[in-house]
Amino acid sequence: MKAVSSLADLCVKCNICTAACPVAVVSDEFLGPKAVGPQAERFRHPQWAATDPSVTLCSGCGVCSRVCPHGVPVAELNIQAKAQLASQRGVPLRDRLVARPAMLGALAQPLAPLANAALRARPARALAHVFLGLSRSAPMPQFSARTFRSLQPARRSESPKPVEGRPQLAYFHGCSVNYYEPALGRLTLRVLDRLGYDVWLPPQGCCGLPLQSNGQFAAARRYARTNVRTLAPFAAAGVPILGTSTSCTLALKHDYRAILGLETEQADLLAGAVYDIFEFLRDADPSPLEATTFHPVPLHLLYHAPCQLNAHGIGQPAYDVLRRIPGLSLTLSESECCGVAGTYGLKRERYSLAYAVGGRLFDQVSQVQPDLVVTDSETCRWWVEGHTGVRACHPIEILALALGLQDENGLLGKKAAA
Amino acid sequence: MNDLVVVGAGLAGLLAANFAARRGASVTLVAQGRGGLALSHGCLGLGSVAHNPGAFPERHPYRLAGFDKVHPAVAGFQQLSQAAGLEFLGDPETPLQLPTASGAVLSVHFAPRSLAQGSLSASEKICIAGIEGFRDFDSGLVVRGLRRRGYRVDATGLSFPSGRPGRDLYSTDIASALDQDWQSREIARLWAPRLNKVDRVGIPAVLGLAHSVDILTSLQSELGLKLFEIPTLPPSLPGLRLERALRRAALAAGCRVLEGPMATGRLDGTSGGVRALGLSTWTPAGPRVVDAGAVVLATGGALNGGWRATRSGRIHESVFDFPISAPEDREAWIGERLIGPHPYDRFGLTVNSRMQPCGSDGQPFFANVFACGGLLGGADRRTEGSREGIDLVTAYAAVEAALS
Repeated sequence: MKAVSSLADLCVKCNICTAACPVAVVSDEFLGPKAVGPQAERFRHPQWAATDPSVTLCSGCGVCSRVCPHGVPVAELNIQAKAQLASQRGVPLRDRLVARPAMLGALAQPLAPLANAALRARPARALAHVFLGLSRSAPMPQFSARTFRSLQPARRSESPKPVEGRPQLAYFHGCSVNYYEPALGRLTLRVLDRLGYDVWLPPQGCCGLPLQSNGQFAAARRYARTNVRTLAPFAAAGVPILGTSTSCTLALKHDYRAILGLETEQADLLAGAVYDIFEFLRDADPSPLEATTFHPVPLHLLYHAPCQLNAHGIGQPAYDVLRRIPGLSLTLSESECCGVAGTYGLKRERYSLAYAVGGRLFDQVSQVQPDLVVTDSETCRWWVEGHTGVRACHPIEILALALGLQDENGLLGKKAAA
Repeated sequence: MNDLVVVGAGLAGLLAANFAARRGASVTLVAQGRGGLALSHGCLGLGSVAHNPGAFPERHPYRLAGFDKVHPAVAGFQQLSQAAGLEFLGDPETPLQLPTASGAVLSVHFAPRSLAQGSLSASEKICIAGIEGFRDFDSGLVVRGLRRRGYRVDATGLSFPSGRPGRDLYSTDIASALDQDWQSREIARLWAPRLNKVDRVGIPAVLGLAHSVDILTSLQSELGLKLFEIPTLPPSLPGLRLERALRRAALAAGCRVLEGPMATGRLDGTSGGVRALGLSTWTPAGPRVVDAGAVVLATGGALNGGWRATRSGRIHESVFDFPISAPEDREAWIGERLIGPHPYDRFGLTVNSRMQPCGSDGQPFFANVFACGGLLGGADRRTEGSREGIDLVTAYAAVEAALS
C-alpha cells in the first residue's frame, strides 16, 4: 500500500488523465483524477480521512491509471482513499449488500421467482430506492433458478486431473455466471470443449472486487485469500485459469496485490496464470482458433470494451478474434466506460451521473442500430441493454455462433430486459 | 505474429502505426499511457528544412532519414489527416506565425484550420477574447505579448452559457458542452455585442473535440466574422483532436492498440543476438509476450521516458537498454538558463540511414529494430522548431525501412 501512495510523486500534473476521465467530462462537481488522486494524496494523513469527499465521485473505471504516461496508479490511489473515508464514516447497508453478490445469490437463488418478481416490481424498487438508496432506474439482472456449479457436478475439482494429450484449463466463472447467467457458463464450456480443452471448475468464491470498490477491504481480503488458496493447485501445475468476467480476472491479476496488499508468492503465481478467455485464445494458445474455419455470422455488432478489460493492458482481444469471423460487421465503441462501473451506477445518488457517463455509448447504439451490443463484462451488458433496449451479449456467444454451437435464432430470440 | 510493433503513442508512434497499417502490415501499438499530444499545440513545425537543409548538423535526424523523405512524409501526413477528418492548412515552404496563450509567436508549417485562421499579419487589427470561468487562458497576457511584438490587438471577455459550474472549468468541459449541443445561435447572441467592431477574433481552443469543424463553421456564420483558436494550457484540444483522429485512423486500419503496459525488448539468444524477438509487456498480471517481425521505437526523449540517466552518468534507452553516449560529467548536461537550450536536448539514439539504432562502431544493434521521433539525438528541436517535423519524417523513414 505504501508503494501505491509513494508512486503519487511520479505525477507531473500533465492532465492527460483529466482529459480522458469519463466522469470529469460530464460532472462539474468532480475535480478529476489528477486533483483527487496524486494531488490530494500529498495532503492525506495516514490516519485521518481527507476533508474533501469529492474522490467518492470517482467511479473506479481505471481509465486514468491506463492513460498515465508516468506510471501513476491514479485509480488505485482513489480506491484506497475511498476505503479510508468509508472506514471512518461507516459503510451504509446498501453498500454492504451490493458488494456481496455471492451472499445475495445464495440467499435469493432458492427463491429466484420471488426475488426476480421483487426486482421487477415497481413498488419494491421504489421502496428500495427510498429506504435503501438503490436506484429505481438501474437495470438489475435476474436470478437463475439453478446455480451454474450445481449444473456441473462432474467438472468440479480441487486440483487438475490430467488426461494424456488433452490440455487442461480452469474456469473462474465468478458470481454472475453462477447466480445470474449459467447459460453463458455452459456455452463457455462447450466452446472450450470444442477447441479441445478439458475444463475444471475449481472451488471459488466471489472475487471480492465489489467489496473492494465499496471500501470494505477486510471482507474483500478474506475472499481474496480463499481464492488464492483454492486456485493455487491449478496455478502451480501450470494450468491456465480463464475468466469470462473481465472485472473478476482483473481482481485476480492485479487488485489482490496492488490494492488489497496480498504480496505472496502464491498471489504472484496466480496472477500470472489468469487470462481473460479471449486473451488466452488470441495470445497464449492461438493454434486451436487459427486451425478453425468459422461459419459466417451475418450480424452487425457494436463492440464495447469494458473499462475493466482495458485495464488489463492487453488491448481488446475479443474484438481481435471476432474480426476474423466472416460476415460480421463490427463497429467499435467510442466510449471509455458505459458508466455503471460495477456497482457505482446502482446507487441512488450516483445513478444520474453514471447514466450521463454512458450517454455517449447509448447515443452511438441508437445511431449505429446494431443487431447486438457485444461486451465482455456482465454489469456493462445489463446496464447497456437496460438503457438502450438492444440485447447485449458476451463475445463468447458470437464465437459460439461462428463455431456452429448455437444458432442465431437462439441468440436473437432472447428479449432485451428493458 | 505482428509484422511490426510500434512502442510509444506520441505523434511519432501514432504516425508510424498508421503509415505501417496503411501499407497493409499487421501492426500492434504498445504504449505506457497516452502520449504527449494532449500537451501540445497540435500543429506541425518542420524547421527550416525546405529552405536551408545545410543548416542541420551532421547526424541530425533529418540528415540520417534523408531530406528526400521530407516531401513524401508530408504528403503522407496530409493524406492521413484528411482521411481522419482533419483539415490542416499550410505549406512546407512558408511557416505560419500563430499567437500562443502566453503572447509569444509560434512558427509552424501546418496547422488545423481553426488555428491557421489566426495567422498574424502586421497591418490587420485582431481581437483576443477570454471566456469567463475558464482560468487557463488570459486574454490580457496574450494581448500584452503580441503588442510588445508590434501587433495591433485588443482584448475582450466572453461568457459561456453553462450556468454556475461547481469547479473551475477545464478546456475539455467547454469542448464537451459544445460537442453535445453547440447552440451556436445562443452563443452568438451572447457574444455578438462584445465583438461588433472586429473581423477576426481569437479565443482559447475549446471549440469541441468530436465536432470541432462544424462548431467553428456554424459559430462563424452566426457571428459573421472569422474565429480562430489559440492552444491553451493542458488539456490542449488541438493536440487531443489530432491524437484522437490518429488513434481512430490506426484502429480503423486494423492496428491493435495495447494501452497501459510498459514494454521491454525480448532478445533471441539462439541467433547470436542479430534479431529482436519482440517485447515483454508488463501488464497488471505480470510480463506477457508480444512477438514482432520488427520493432519501431517511438518512445520519445528524456521528458517522455525514451531514455533514462543514472546518477553515475550512464544513459540508456528504455526498451532495449541501448547505450546512449553523453559526457561523464553530469554538470555538462545542463545549460545556464532554465528554459534552455540544454546540451541534453541533443542527447539520444544514433541511427544509420535505415533508422536502425547503432553502437559507437556504427553497427546496428539488431537487424529488425528501428527508431524514430524524440528518441533520436542530434537535434535541438525547440530552437529549430523541428519537433513534429522530425517525428513525421523519421516515422515515415523507419516504417519504410522496417517493412522493406
